[in-house]
Amino acid sequence: MSTVDGLTAPVDVADEISTASRRRLVRRRGGAGRSSLGSGARWAGWLFALPALVMYAVFELYPIITAVQYSFFDWDGVSAATPAGLKNYTRVFTEPQLLASIIHAFILIIFFTFLPVLLALVVASIVREIKSKALGATARTMMFLPQIIPGAASAIAWTWMYSPNGAVNQMLGALGLSSLQRAWLGDFTWALPAVGIIGTWLATGLCTLLLMAGIGKIDTSLYEAASLDGANRIQQFRAITLPGLRQEIGVCITITIIAALASFDVVFMSTQGGPGYSTQVPGVQVYQLAFTENRIGQSSALAVVLSLIVLAVILPIQRFFREK
Amino acid sequence: MHNARRSPRPTRRTVLGVIGAFSVAGVAACSAPGPAATGAADSTPTAVSTSIGTQPVTLKLYDGQGLKTLDDALIAAFTKKYPSVTITPTYDPDNVTTQNQPRQLASASPPDLVRVISVTSGTKNNLLTNLDAYGAAYGWDQIPASQLAQFRAKDGVAGSGSLFAKASGFTMTGLYYNKKLAQQVGMTTPPASVDELTTLMGKAKAAGLTGMVVANKEGGGVFPYQLLLNTSMGPDKVSQWVFNAQGATINNPESVAAATQVDTWNKAGLFPQAVNALDANAADALFASNKGLFFPWGNWDAANLDKTMPGQVGFFPMPPTTSGGKVAAMSDAATAFGIPTKSTNKDAAAAFLNFLSSDEARQIAVDNGFMPTGLPSQAAPTIKSGSVLADVTKAFATVSGDNGQVPFVQNATAGISNQAWTPESQLLLAGKSTPEQFVANVQAKYEDELKR
Repeated sequence: MSTVDGLTAPVDVADEISTASRRRLVRRRGGAGRSSLGSGARWAGWLFALPALVMYAVFELYPIITAVQYSFFDWDGVSAATPAGLKNYTRVFTEPQLLASIIHAFILIIFFTFLPVLLALVVASIVREIKSKALGATARTMMFLPQIIPGAASAIAWTWMYSPNGAVNQMLGALGLSSLQRAWLGDFTWALPAVGIIGTWLATGLCTLLLMAGIGKIDTSLYEAASLDGANRIQQFRAITLPGLRQEIGVCITITIIAALASFDVVFMSTQGGPGYSTQVPGVQVYQLAFTENRIGQSSALAVVLSLIVLAVILPIQRFFREK
Repeated sequence: MHNARRSPRPTRRTVLGVIGAFSVAGVAACSAPGPAATGAADSTPTAVSTSIGTQPVTLKLYDGQGLKTLDDALIAAFTKKYPSVTITPTYDPDNVTTQNQPRQLASASPPDLVRVISVTSGTKNNLLTNLDAYGAAYGWDQIPASQLAQFRAKDGVAGSGSLFAKASGFTMTGLYYNKKLAQQVGMTTPPASVDELTTLMGKAKAAGLTGMVVANKEGGGVFPYQLLLNTSMGPDKVSQWVFNAQGATINNPESVAAATQVDTWNKAGLFPQAVNALDANAADALFASNKGLFFPWGNWDAANLDKTMPGQVGFFPMPPTTSGGKVAAMSDAATAFGIPTKSTNKDAAAAFLNFLSSDEARQIAVDNGFMPTGLPSQAAPTIKSGSVLADVTKAFATVSGDNGQVPFVQNATAGISNQAWTPESQLLLAGKSTPEQFVANVQAKYEDELKR
């Protein structure tokens, strides 16, 4: 089938590029070792990287190291600290509310990752078909708009929409669905999905933009060949668009999963973890432990655990989307 | 394909990197953060003076944004009286002061006058000046004991001992009521007991109104509970709990009774239906829409209510359990000003603290909606008659007379409001926990945070 043949083309191109660049890399590396350039050139490279490395060390590595350090102490941030051993860590896994907050973060992945990626795939495939330049640009701008609004600001706007007399309930009422009206953010069952939808709204724009850029790179002749062979839109989507977007989807999933697991602004501005503990997430807990309760050690331990969880989730995903 | 062979390498390198970073951190973990645990400097000043001299002095003041109008007026009046003193204020958003205040206190050059949120944490690290000597020099001991008790501490427990702060005025809590709706349900005088209150709310519900405007998105549901608790458990025992006295507990029948009353009102439909989704603004809007009879809230809303509903709102303290009993209310400082130990202008700062209970400052406090601090013999500040603020001030006088000033239970520990009162009250009002569980869970969090 020619669709399948066509499918291998971009991969071949990618392979060729990467093989070529690798060959070049090998040649350069071999050359540097033998030629008269010597060690000076090698240090020059580091010199160029130095400003970035310094920033990275001061604002990334140092805070990470101090967080790990604090996590082994009982410290209020002001007075002398007392060693706490692994106590702060055992509490993360034994305190039901801290554990529940981690579970909530995983539930948010549905709303921050799966829904946006699905929506973005649909939207990107539709926008691809829009022939008018003006319409296409308008569609892209509309989709990207949520991305340029700060999460905190959109959380406030959504809080108003979710309020008992807000837009969501008004729309339900207008549609004759007043039985579904509820105080969304005050409802123990619906608060977490409601918060999640805010995340969906925020992430869809970014995913759409990334996927549209990816679709732009796919050779249009593939679509032409496929339609000549009688493949319908859905078949084209499955055989050309989806495999062609593998890398972009990987990026979307990685970014949004991190956003879900480390979510802070949306939850903090909309519910602060309530009602009860139903929308509590580790990001908000880390903040509250450190800055309202002055338990720097406990807060750092939760932050370290959260970072490790993010890594544990992200690394296999990275691997999956890179393997081919 | 060859990509598959290549891909694990960066991943493995990342893992190695992470392990490397954590092992570096592990080495770092051997050294403790924070200052070394040495005997901190004494916070008792050696020589105090009530004279501020003629040399120009500049004081730095730190407070929350919400108190800016009051503080600016006090500063203007004080510096007019003492021209050699200049005060430069810094204001943070109110919710941020909780986080910044300990750091402000601990800094090498702290402000000279600082909002004191927790007297115990300030004294634990000897960061606050012991004001006893100034108190004796200025005669602050004449001020009613209940006005200063909140700012005293001894051995890490607030409520008694040496003085560490002085208030610029007091807050006051109780029940606002809509005069027109009160007439509609046949209320001629404020209810004399909790039962009478319940009956009136029932009549309001029958008339299609909200009996009590409670907004619990931010934990406002704790208000009716504590208003009941203050009289059922007694002001002293509630205060001791907030001050972290040894063995203090709210897991007792009196507290369960207060929670049960709140639960009963809620289940009887006397609170708004979406109680857990309403925030303070929404509650204000609901009360202003003439659809709510009672509104458990505080003096900070009086000016707003006088503006939006002029002449239509009254205020009374929460009635006692049985008619004729004593009344009590949550009432703490507008701002409790303390002097950091490291301040170099203590005498001038103490003169400002003394000024806070002067006739002039009392009038400024009332003008800004706060209850005045000072001696009962001092001239009463003038208030516009017929305003709801006049009602609030009258209620404060009654509560003070009954020795019923109680600090807010949300202030018992740094984290208890966010981590226990708000979520647990939401569970209670959603019918997801019982009054017994409510008080037991809050008490458990309290003991956990105090490491008991």
